[in-house]
Amino acid sequence: MKDIRLVVQRFDPSVDRKPRYVEFPVPFREGMTVLDAILQARDYADHSIGVRCSCRQASCGSCGMKINGKARLACYTQVAELRSEKVVVQPMDNFPIIKDLVTDLDGFFDRHRELLPRILRADEAEMESPTAEYLMSPEELDKILQFTYCIKCGLCTSSCPTVGTDSLFPGPQALAQAYRYTMDVRDEGGGERFELLDTRHGVFRCHYAGSCSAVCPKGVDPALGIQLLKRHVMSAKPPRGNGEGARVWTKGS
Amino acid sequence: MRESRLMLVQYVTAAAAVVLVAIHLLLQGVLVPYGTAISFGTVLSAYRSVISIVFLELLLVVVLVHGFNGVRIILHELRQTASWSRWVDAGTVIAIVASVGYGTRTILLAVLMGVSS
Amino acid sequence: MSTEETANNRKGVLGWINPHNHNAERWAYAFQRITGVAVLLYVLGHLGDTSFFVGGPIGTGPSESSWAFISGLVENSFGHMILVLVVLVVTFHGVNGIRLILAEFGVMFRKPRAIEYPYKPKGLNPLQRYVFVAAVAMAAIAALLAWWILFEGPL
Repeated sequence: MKDIRLVVQRFDPSVDRKPRYVEFPVPFREGMTVLDAILQARDYADHSIGVRCSCRQASCGSCGMKINGKARLACYTQVAELRSEKVVVQPMDNFPIIKDLVTDLDGFFDRHRELLPRILRADEAEMESPTAEYLMSPEELDKILQFTYCIKCGLCTSSCPTVGTDSLFPGPQALAQAYRYTMDVRDEGGGERFELLDTRHGVFRCHYAGSCSAVCPKGVDPALGIQLLKRHVMSAKPPRGNGEGARVWTKGS
Repeated sequence: MRESRLMLVQYVTAAAAVVLVAIHLLLQGVLVPYGTAISFGTVLSAYRSVISIVFLELLLVVVLVHGFNGVRIILHELRQTASWSRWVDAGTVIAIVASVGYGTRTILLAVLMGVSS
Repeated sequence: MSTEETANNRKGVLGWINPHNHNAERWAYAFQRITGVAVLLYVLGHLGDTSFFVGGPIGTGPSESSWAFISGLVENSFGHMILVLVVLVVTFHGVNGIRLILAEFGVMFRKPRAIEYPYKPKGLNPLQRYVFVAAVAMAAIAALLAWWILFEGPL
């Protein structure tokens, strides 16, 4: 490939009535990522292209967008793997557009926070001022490890069909993290989370379309976590929901 | 009612519907020739058999509860205002009662009344 | 679409019914939703036509003439074509529905454990995909059987 045709969706809600697509020829280099191409276009052709990026190595989750119709991280997508000289980049679906490829993630983070993504203990005083370590064996960590890999890029939420219409649905990211914390052996807050999940717009509005797991760049597999979470919510028995069972290190043990 | 209980109803009616609808389809053309199965005499004799009457009523209730609960779920995902949610929930109950009522009326009339011309 | 709707950027109902560029399970979701609504609409029509056994909405009991009337309306090629389609969608919806129930109870999934790159999500494992394929196959077979019974076989 000599040149690729980078087509960028341009849309500034404060001045534009509808999106337009602007094409930039970008010289192709071996190993070039879509983010490289966008930054090249921004640096040399049009400084006003709006794009959010940071780490360039699929750690921060900043550069989520739609690339040739699929939700991907721009820094993690090689131009060569698209097998097309035309690369169309658009903002992620289901997130309000701030400008061009930059979307508003505030609502996304709010949904995440609403499902209590932290270790909760029955003894609040002990939780605020712990007197000892909470124990977790390597085997217990393995059971939730993949769900801890979430970088909150939003690709899963942008692909979810329910999020496309239901503004009260938490989305796959928040639900997968709810599973992660509920199944964490150090956590005793399952009961509180179940109250939030067992609602009209809660975990049961997931219908296992699986697009979240298909697009996740970190192997979190939210669809798996959510289906396993549904089983627990259905049984109405949160693990360690009543303050029992969480182990604490004591000197000499 | 908690959403998990409503989903349990959805799953139970789904499993029941798979079995009952399969039997219904088998009796409408596979185990009984289609033309015979839909003839007036065959249908009338079905309404004279207790097992058949119970089967039909069960099929009616299971399929309609499952179907309208499914539509309720779809409508809740479509809009999320408080009034819409209330109307969807009320509408679901009304739709189930009305349709099960109409189907049950058909069964009762067929069972209890004599043949007219 | 208004500027506000464009800025809001929600996929809307199109996201439910257009699985283009998505995974197999998304296709199953779209078909399940469409077939579910289709089956319910058929069932409501079926409630109506079977009520003609007792004379329709204003009937008073079993009536051979009323049943003959409705049979005359629906027992034709077009009506039988509708029945074949109903068998197709009902079979798919039922078998795929069983797949969904099993998935939502966590059956068909291995327990989560430490993962290595390249990531193969267990949530999209081959076993439940085979069941989806089986649902499509069984629907096609059932529809072919219905076609044979209604159009080719002895009535």
